[in-house]
Amino acid sequence: MTRKGIDRRTLLRGILGGAAVSIGLPPLELFMNSHGTAWASGEAFPTRLGLFCWGNGNIPSRWTPAATGVDDAWALSEQLAPLQDFKRSLAVVTGLDILLPNVAPHGSGAVGILTGRKTLEGPGGSTYPSPTLDQVAANAIGASTRFKSIEYGAKAGGGLSYGGPYALNPAEESPYALFQRLFGAGFTLPGDTPIIDPAWALRRSVLDAVGEDSARIRARLGIADQRRLEQHLYGVRALELRLSRLEQDPPDLAACTMPTEPAPEYPDLEGRAQLREKNRVMSELVAMAWACDQTRVVSNFLTHPVNDVLFPDAPMGHHQLTHDEPGDQPEVHAIVKHVMECFSDTLAACANIAEGDGTVLDHCAWLATSEVSLGRLHSLEDYPLLIAGSANGRLLNDIHVRSAGGESTSHVILSVLRAVGVTLPSWGEDDNLVTDGYAAIET
Amino acid sequence: MRASTAGLLGMLALACQTPGKDGQDGPGPQPTWAASWDAASPVFRRLTVTEYENAVQDLLGVEVVTAVEPDVVVNGMRSLGAGSSSISQRGVEQYEAAAFNAASSALADPELHASLVPCAPQATVDDACAAQFVEQFGRLAWRRPLEQAEVDRLTGIVHDAATVLGTFDDGVEYGIAAMLQSPNFLFRVEQGEVGTDGVRRYTSWEMATRLSFLLWDSVPDEALLDAAAADELTTDAGLSAAVERMLADPRARRYADDGGAADTHGGLAAFFDDAYLLYGLESLSKDPLVYEAMSATLGPAAHEQTLRDLEYWVFDTDNDFRDLFTTRITHLNRELASVYDVPAPARTGFARTELPEDGIRRGLLGQVSFLALLAHPTTTSPTRRGKYIREHILCEVIPAPPAGVNTSIPEPSGEAPTLRDRVAQHLQDPYCAGCHKLMDPVGLGYENFDGIGRWRAIENNTTIDASGDLDGNSFHDAWDLGKLIAEESHTPKCVVKQLFMYALGRQPTDADDEALDYLNETFAWSGYRVRHVLNELVMSPAFREVNELDMTVDDTDADTDGGTP
Repeated sequence: MTRKGIDRRTLLRGILGGAAVSIGLPPLELFMNSHGTAWASGEAFPTRLGLFCWGNGNIPSRWTPAATGVDDAWALSEQLAPLQDFKRSLAVVTGLDILLPNVAPHGSGAVGILTGRKTLEGPGGSTYPSPTLDQVAANAIGASTRFKSIEYGAKAGGGLSYGGPYALNPAEESPYALFQRLFGAGFTLPGDTPIIDPAWALRRSVLDAVGEDSARIRARLGIADQRRLEQHLYGVRALELRLSRLEQDPPDLAACTMPTEPAPEYPDLEGRAQLREKNRVMSELVAMAWACDQTRVVSNFLTHPVNDVLFPDAPMGHHQLTHDEPGDQPEVHAIVKHVMECFSDTLAACANIAEGDGTVLDHCAWLATSEVSLGRLHSLEDYPLLIAGSANGRLLNDIHVRSAGGESTSHVILSVLRAVGVTLPSWGEDDNLVTDGYAAIET
Repeated sequence: MRASTAGLLGMLALACQTPGKDGQDGPGPQPTWAASWDAASPVFRRLTVTEYENAVQDLLGVEVVTAVEPDVVVNGMRSLGAGSSSISQRGVEQYEAAAFNAASSALADPELHASLVPCAPQATVDDACAAQFVEQFGRLAWRRPLEQAEVDRLTGIVHDAATVLGTFDDGVEYGIAAMLQSPNFLFRVEQGEVGTDGVRRYTSWEMATRLSFLLWDSVPDEALLDAAAADELTTDAGLSAAVERMLADPRARRYADDGGAADTHGGLAAFFDDAYLLYGLESLSKDPLVYEAMSATLGPAAHEQTLRDLEYWVFDTDNDFRDLFTTRITHLNRELASVYDVPAPARTGFARTELPEDGIRRGLLGQVSFLALLAHPTTTSPTRRGKYIREHILCEVIPAPPAGVNTSIPEPSGEAPTLRDRVAQHLQDPYCAGCHKLMDPVGLGYENFDGIGRWRAIENNTTIDASGDLDGNSFHDAWDLGKLIAEESHTPKCVVKQLFMYALGRQPTDADDEALDYLNETFAWSGYRVRHVLNELVMSPAFREVNELDMTVDDTDADTDGGTP
């Protein structure tokens, strides 16, 4: 059988439209406007990438679904059960390894999964050797939107998005600050004519002067420091560009509406962070930022590697539990399930925004992963990799594939990056270098 | 030059010569700098968050109320991260917002306005007055006189903004915002100049910046810049006078002695925050159901206690640094006094007090700050406490744990009621023991203090055994262990190394061995007084000389962000 996600979707939509009439459009039009992949104007909806990372891994034996296959042939595992509402949008790949030396617990895996490469031992200590996968995508597909990428996370601890060595893009932890950044001053709803503020041009000229200062100083620095100022200059130019785009009409997207302003603070309750609530609120904001085409690449760093976050009802911090809890680690298991509940909320935020005859979730690919598999051992084998959304029909959904072993996680990264529109000859280095995607999940 | 440095050190020695510890054989002659010394290439540092906040406070008289680019920890220290991190896209946005916010609040205050704008504008657009403002503010913010081209460009920004927005002050606001977003403000360019003797030294302007961020955690004031303008900061006498004045200035410390108002300034407090990770206490996470004494204010209070003690030790008593690990003198408020189960020394705020003589809680490592920070949210952690002592108090290196090792420990049981029994696994398994024997036995010495630092004698109905040994010297309890740490030769050397890294913004290399030896010797000679070693560090070539730019690329593999915005 030739499985093509697009065909299946088209067929499904036809059946649903014809039989249940749950969608308020005639079947013929559904078939014609084939995969819900078009703007109101008829152009294709942009393909977006989401990266979802959590800290301290999973428990592979309770994570891996019992059966492989597509559609009803497989069922979610106990750790993935919270994603039941989105099973039809999921691709689960198990049994892949990061084929790099595991020299730094929580470090080798984070760098290995997000760059495909080994940690760089540079003059300023260990760091990422090259941009993380979200930034690789942002460089390729993020140029036309207001924000090249957005990084956030309820307990992100800075997050893991790097533009290059030492070039961290710190993740926003405050829902209110994220709202202000995305939808505060300067955001214009579709159809509204921007009211041009004379301050914008003045701010641009200030940034221009700052950019000149940056270029002048850069000429006086050593090579490594020149790179640091290049990154600063890059941010200055990006903000200038953003200010100039304010004067243009916003993207004309029917799904784009102004989200509700979040509370200014989400204080800890009973000593525990409001992790799930903050994640839900921020995920709704970024889903709307996608619908408003303010950005095409977002990263959600829910929790950080080695975090000792107190999850609901957990008797100890997460990292401590992964190491100190004996047996089959029921408390760690409960935390992984809670993380998946949070991921489910993130997916719901996308699925709840109708776009064309699909949803925002149909037009993106979320890649969910961690910096280790089994936290107790800091393993890099049988790595957690989840994909949600088909990237406008380029990735298969509702499928569990298990590798026979010895294959690199890089295949999946390459599939996802190519699916969202990044042209890449290869991903990774040494044994972890691949030139092919993971065919089993590609359409 | 070497000779003149030595001469001055001799003079200082007369002024501050004291008997050695416990008045033993006397201090002997003060060590002099004779290190074979090869200065390293310049370090290009970004302002840390507190440096930025203090600088804006000093420049504009207003507080920074929005977030800016967070600090990055490299090799355990933020001051090292400042030398390798950059500014992200979000950071550029944040610095822009913070600069405009601060500028407009300052200009709205008539008194602050008067100090910022040194002339009365004759019209909405007044380039002469604008240029005066730019020169005055620019010198303070960029820590050097502005070049004419820079003055012209910034005056042009003031001119344009005033023209478009309609008031002279609008123009000034944009001028301030431009200077505060510039890398001339946000980064420190310190590259030195080759003198007639062929040695490359930091210029007086660069020394002003180096001194002010080291001693005040902020920008130089007018007086320091005047000393730079007179080129006094490259001379021993000028430098020494500047250091003396700056250490006596309120900006040198965060807390006035005995309960006065807190400042955010203070180079010493910022240093210990960085070296000892004390900033983590501002976001302490503990389960309040497990620890009833936990509150949102406990972490910040413990932070303040430790910093007050450190500042008191260095500024008020100038005592032996090592005694910080055994002293009963501390500063407490009511909340901390209740956790320590001692009478509160004051009804409100902090006051100095002495912990009971019959208790075993002594010294810095008997404080809530260390005990709570290096524990888990619901339990203690001998491993984390021990690792911290090895790495941050003794400056030893603990290798990362190997991957693929089962790290679980057994649950409490009849055979293993206490954590000591349960972590014994770490020490029995030879694979784990290599490193854990360095950490756990030391950390177990603090098991009489729970996860927020409260005293406890019993765990799971079993009397806690807090005895152990530190590198072959046995101890009975935490007090005993504090004495061993105070006597351990690595302890004073560690704080010297940390100070070196903090002041220079880089890790020492083999080329710095002799410089560190000298600093360690002079620290010992002084009876381990931090002020003395701080002064000697600043006066030494280590703080004043620099090499040429490093134009080599040792990470040729690296691939930077190649996209276009």
